[in-house]
Amino acid sequence: MTIRKVLLLGLALLASSAAAQKTIRITGYGGTDQTLLTDLINRFVKPTMAKQGITVVYQPLQGDYNKGLTTLLAANTAGDVMYLPAETLDGFVATKKILPLNGLVSTTPFIKSLNTAFTRDGKLYAIAKDFNTLTLVYNKDLFDEAGVAYPSNNDTWTTLATKLTALKQKLGSEYYGICLQPNFDRFGAFAYSTGWKQFDSKGKTNLADPAFVQAFNWYTGLAKDKVGVTPSEVSTDWGGGCLKTGKVAVAVEGGWVVNFLRDNAPNLKYGTALLPKNDATGKRGNFLYTVGYAINASTKNRAAAVKVLNLLTSAPAQQYVLEQGLAIPSRTALINNAYFKKTEAGAQNARLVFEGADDGNVRAFTFGPKGPDWGKPINEALAAVLSGQRSAADALKKAQSDMTTFQGR
Amino acid sequence: MTRKSQATTTAYLFLAPFLITSVIFFFYAFARAIYYSFTDFNLFNTPKVIGLQPYLEVLSDPSFRRALTNSLVFSLVTTTLQTIFALLMAVVLNNRLRGMTFFRTAWYMPSITSSVVITLIFLWLFQRRGVANYVVTQWQTFQPLLLTLLGVTLLIQVVQVLLERRAGHPAGWFDPALAATSVLGAVLVTALLNVLGVVGLREVPPFDYQYFADKWITVGGARVLSIPMLVIIIQNTFTTVPTLMLFFLAGLQGIPGSLYEAADIDGATPLQKLMNVTVPQLRPVTFYVVTVGLIGTMQMFDQVAVIGSAAPSETLITLAYYVYTNTFKAGAAPVNMASAAAIILALIILAMVFVQRRFFPSEVR
Repeated sequence: MTIRKVLLLGLALLASSAAAQKTIRITGYGGTDQTLLTDLINRFVKPTMAKQGITVVYQPLQGDYNKGLTTLLAANTAGDVMYLPAETLDGFVATKKILPLNGLVSTTPFIKSLNTAFTRDGKLYAIAKDFNTLTLVYNKDLFDEAGVAYPSNNDTWTTLATKLTALKQKLGSEYYGICLQPNFDRFGAFAYSTGWKQFDSKGKTNLADPAFVQAFNWYTGLAKDKVGVTPSEVSTDWGGGCLKTGKVAVAVEGGWVVNFLRDNAPNLKYGTALLPKNDATGKRGNFLYTVGYAINASTKNRAAAVKVLNLLTSAPAQQYVLEQGLAIPSRTALINNAYFKKTEAGAQNARLVFEGADDGNVRAFTFGPKGPDWGKPINEALAAVLSGQRSAADALKKAQSDMTTFQGR
Repeated sequence: MTRKSQATTTAYLFLAPFLITSVIFFFYAFARAIYYSFTDFNLFNTPKVIGLQPYLEVLSDPSFRRALTNSLVFSLVTTTLQTIFALLMAVVLNNRLRGMTFFRTAWYMPSITSSVVITLIFLWLFQRRGVANYVVTQWQTFQPLLLTLLGVTLLIQVVQVLLERRAGHPAGWFDPALAATSVLGAVLVTALLNVLGVVGLREVPPFDYQYFADKWITVGGARVLSIPMLVIIIQNTFTTVPTLMLFFLAGLQGIPGSLYEAADIDGATPLQKLMNVTVPQLRPVTFYVVTVGLIGTMQMFDQVAVIGSAAPSETLITLAYYVYTNTFKAGAAPVNMASAAAIILALIILAMVFVQRRFFPSEVR
């Protein structure tokens, strides 16, 4: 046998084995998700799929996920199943590379607002893998030391502000009441609480709306006398970091803060309360932060990909996600889960994050069809006012003009 | 095959790897960018030619106009600063002094360090609780003592020099021996005044300047240079001066010593020698340094990318960063606009080099 024949035979063998062994790739986040998802796939997905001769691999993208996924989709090398963040859904739908799931997957077991978050023009593009909402996470020791009552689920904007001011006055200049991130990701929840709408019927954003102005003034007003502090002022970049310093009493964060505090501030005694209600509307506002599983429209194994998606969102897999404490699963049936009844701080937080999903004015966290740049005028206005560089009225005027320019493009 | 054609083939074989990479990653990519800049391409659709529309969209985009202004201001200021400092540093390091090898190595260090690392260090230096603000706070705290020390030193020095001169000794204002005595005396006086409670440390609140915020240097109401950009200018000058200094050092070695000797005989001061001998003789090197500087600064990207959202985008956006952000978005992206901006950037750089070649002589006259 000549060398050429041996090579040809080898190639033929490789090709046939590749054909027999189908692989479904799942593209997702790196970091903590990588460990969790690999374990979840090994437990709940691989055994079933292996019986059908299909291997499943998790392909984590490190760094900026959205940019990474865009590149993979453009090059036709993205996974068969992939994470699809709700906030960037519109940009990805425009690529026509996301398979509409209507008729392929049953949506009934999942929370309705989550399905809505992934629907555009009647087409469902992903099934929520889990979600998060915002809560008030507070340092119990600081409230005890100041002799001020903990934030409660009945707090309104006014009562919460009173508590925070009292705490600041008792504890002095080294301590702060609340960590205020200068961006829409957190502030938006308070704006929704007033009944403000992100887009009007023409798709335009009105930052001069009295409801928005009211929320803006309340949020930035907390920075008066340093009751509220921006993360950068305590040398960190988010609310969890603020809590970790032990000098900030309250942070507005979701379930992700639980693992962070367990690892970075194991001695911090914390509690969780729902976000305060707006005095006038009597309602809370909140964000639904959610990431879904979507299917690549150009996958060669559509049926297998759908099976994998169903296994990833199956009840046992979701129970596992809940117990890992990373996020709250998206199945309605989990409401009565025993985990939510535990008294430990993490489980309490999880319960309130779950409750936050349908309490008051809850909206999916999204930037609309023009992408994340939509939030910039608001973020810049918040930063300018919180750092004392501009008056609220001045900053809002500039923000509205920037927003008009942005949306007019 | 003749000997000559064989030699040519060999030459092309050796050149092939570079030619192939240039053709694929430069010429092909450049041609594609030109093509995309006239289409409606968004990474996912089949491009359709729509003429000059992407260019019109780019030119009417406020974010592009800001990027253009930022790039031009950054380029002009940084190139000027780095050329002047590199020349001065080269002149200093061209001396034969003890330990010069150490200084040459030490000054070259910033150039070989990754710009990402240096940017992170600068981000840390200039953050709200960073070293820059700390130094200002310390200066404000120690100001009374330092000013007293400085004033008393000056006073003693003046008195000493005048006394020496009255005694008929030729004493200079900066005489090192007298200066040492003056400083010693000033330290004693300041310490005494401090003990007596006349001068002491000041109680000042920590200096709290936010460098990476929406702050601008304005000229006639127009925002010209942002403070975050100023920090990048300082950083960029710090990291590029050493490399450019090397070019000047090499140039300095080539200047005939006889020119300096002639200048010495004519009684030229060091400044006159620098302006009338060194600078004109270094003209070819200066041309190269300015050209490289302009191209490099017009394409500045990494510092802006590393600082990212730590500063408002308007304060830092440059043309290269504008191209990047319009290409890599979540999903469909205006790649046609990014391509148009990239072509405009290339044309500006070409024009700059052309103007420089046309109006500034690169040869020693």
